[in-house]
Amino acid sequence: MNLYAGKVLVVDLTKREITTEPLRQEWIRDYWGSWGMALRYYWEAVAPQVDPLSADNAIVIMTGPFSGTLVPLTSRLSLVSKSPHTGTIFTSNVGGAFGPELKYAGYDGLIIKGASDAPVYLKIVDDQVTLEDATPIMGKGIFATEKFMEKGVGEAGAKTLAIGPAGEKLITYSMIGSESYRQFGRGGTGALFGSKNLKGVVCKGSGAVTVADMPKFIERVTHHKTENLFTEDNLWANTDGTAVLVDVTNELGIHPTRNYSGGINEHKNIVNSDVIKAAKIADRACAGCPLACGKFTKIGDAEIEGPEYETLCLGGSNCEINDLEAIIKFNRVCDDLGIDTMSCGSIIGMAMELTESGRHDFGIRFGDGEEYLKLVEEIASLSTERGRDLAMGAKKLAEKYHAADVSMEVKGLEMPAYEPRGNYGMGLAYATSERGACHLRAFPIFNETPFGIDALVEEVVESQNFNGIKWSMCFCDFWGSINTDITAELLTIGLGEEVTAAELDKSGERIWTLSKMFNLYNGFGLADDSLPEKILKNPLKNGPNAGKTFDSKDFTEALSRYYKKRDWDEQGEPRAAKLAELGLDHI
Amino acid sequence: MSKQLYVDPNECTGCNRCTYVCSAVHEGKFSPTIARIKVNNYPHKGFSAPSICFQCPNAPCHQACPAGAISRNADDVVVVDADKCIACGDCVEACPYGMIEMVADIAVKCDYCGGDPACVKECYPGALVFEEKTPELTKLMGMQMKQRSKEGSPADKREHLGSVLLSLYRD
Repeated sequence: MNLYAGKVLVVDLTKREITTEPLRQEWIRDYWGSWGMALRYYWEAVAPQVDPLSADNAIVIMTGPFSGTLVPLTSRLSLVSKSPHTGTIFTSNVGGAFGPELKYAGYDGLIIKGASDAPVYLKIVDDQVTLEDATPIMGKGIFATEKFMEKGVGEAGAKTLAIGPAGEKLITYSMIGSESYRQFGRGGTGALFGSKNLKGVVCKGSGAVTVADMPKFIERVTHHKTENLFTEDNLWANTDGTAVLVDVTNELGIHPTRNYSGGINEHKNIVNSDVIKAAKIADRACAGCPLACGKFTKIGDAEIEGPEYETLCLGGSNCEINDLEAIIKFNRVCDDLGIDTMSCGSIIGMAMELTESGRHDFGIRFGDGEEYLKLVEEIASLSTERGRDLAMGAKKLAEKYHAADVSMEVKGLEMPAYEPRGNYGMGLAYATSERGACHLRAFPIFNETPFGIDALVEEVVESQNFNGIKWSMCFCDFWGSINTDITAELLTIGLGEEVTAAELDKSGERIWTLSKMFNLYNGFGLADDSLPEKILKNPLKNGPNAGKTFDSKDFTEALSRYYKKRDWDEQGEPRAAKLAELGLDHI
Repeated sequence: MSKQLYVDPNECTGCNRCTYVCSAVHEGKFSPTIARIKVNNYPHKGFSAPSICFQCPNAPCHQACPAGAISRNADDVVVVDADKCIACGDCVEACPYGMIEMVADIAVKCDYCGGDPACVKECYPGALVFEEKTPELTKLMGMQMKQRSKEGSPADKREHLGSVLLSLYRD
């Protein structure tokens, strides 16, 4: 089968049964791969009300059709499940090289069901797939776990997914790491593995991915790479990496500072891309990516691939940690223990504000780099009361301490590092994302009318639909100029079957809508498509957007226009005609 | 003077596009395992070192071949005549770098794509260069050619080169 491996690996951890199934052909042209396909498989595998951390829950991990080919920036891998952090449907994706390796081993995806009664890891060497004893690595960090599993394969170059102690302890913002510094970062993917007693997956594949017309495929991939990818829209990833956003967001006044009190950081020059470049010892790439946005940095003894923008801001400016070495240490310890740096930075910022305002003493104040590093360890090990408190996440922490006014989350997911009071579109994107506050579904920060509701509604809906298909192809966000015309052309040549941009556009909307339906079945309604109180009520303190709020009236107006644009009803439920149009009337 | 392929590990990002295009050009499919170039990746240390065929003078693969299937062509490239290969595997054992292997019972190795290597065109960071020799490039290659393995699988031999270069460049 061209572009696809044609098989899915199914692992039932309760029964310790490993089987393969043919890829569901009838879903391909509706869902394509990765996010879409994983979502469709997941929908089939569980009831929406499933308890995320129970043996009844499933985890679906899928590659995209271009994974393992020369199409650049397509090696990402999506994981779909229900999040223990938000209770919503949740898609997370990771870069690195695991995706292509899984395809070369002969599988488009991996479905994990049940739960093991003893710690195991999954070993995939082509068609030899076994569950191995993970007892020797229990409690160990991701770095040691990956090394252990790779050794178990007996040949260098195996690719790995692993959890650290935070995932084992079911912390709901623990993550799954890969190649040390890359993650299925958000939503508690680590706890999903942990709840199944699955410490990791190691994979080595020696197979191939085929295309219908190789010379033409190479010619067109090379053309689009040269003409479309290697352009100003995208080359920042190569020259600067995501740290470039430190300057960009400060200029726009949307750089969260001091637990989302301000929109600029006066000390930004301590952590911007010039500083990252000065500390850089190598550029690093995911499999198949010529851009190599990863900047491997070293300061003193601290080295890491990164830190990326979200960590620089949420673990830096938002906690008033204006010290790159401390941020690198924070990043590294999170990456090893298996904690999402974004949620963690945000929650620590919240604890700092609660401490400074005298509402509860967590023993940590803004700018306290020493305590902040200690806190990460306490969270991951649940070893202190404050560690256990912060491990609950912002939403539950707010419930415990009556602190909704300083809790920066949507549907339980802590907000990314773009301030909605300086760009209403970002707020709308957070409020309507299927997984809570997320910047990877729509990213309207460059919209010319940051407070113009009509233009923003338009952009948010279009981006969400487009990202439905983009993440199903596993195009990285940093091919910003990729479109469905190029995608359709490459699919056509690769598959040897005509694919149109119009059907891909429709698939994007279908994927978005199916995610929404899952959340509706879980009781997430109008009231949950919301923003944190601070965004709605408290004026932003500094920068070009000082004094701004995204008040309830404007927000309600934006949300209502968003539903209308989607042809959903006033409660945000897709109308029957829309479901029928998307082929989802059976849902 | 003919051109040669050189690797600067300092510039390699570990993207592996060289292996993708190599397998596509030579085997008609994407499969790094059967590519004629390999990349030894050490993501934890932010380091990658491609393994290439150095087209050795007195090439051990050439010398080991009992069937006369391996020769040096006019461009000074060591090439395999598939029709003469008897799949004995002696060349695989002889190569100290793990850069000649059996694919479908024929020994395969890097042939510089006939003088215009696809991997070099695909290497955006410029870790792979195809140039006439200079003192710097000769020194670079010399350091890599010192990392010979007498035994082990081709993968083990490449890992040996990669891990020695890792320690030289990063420790």
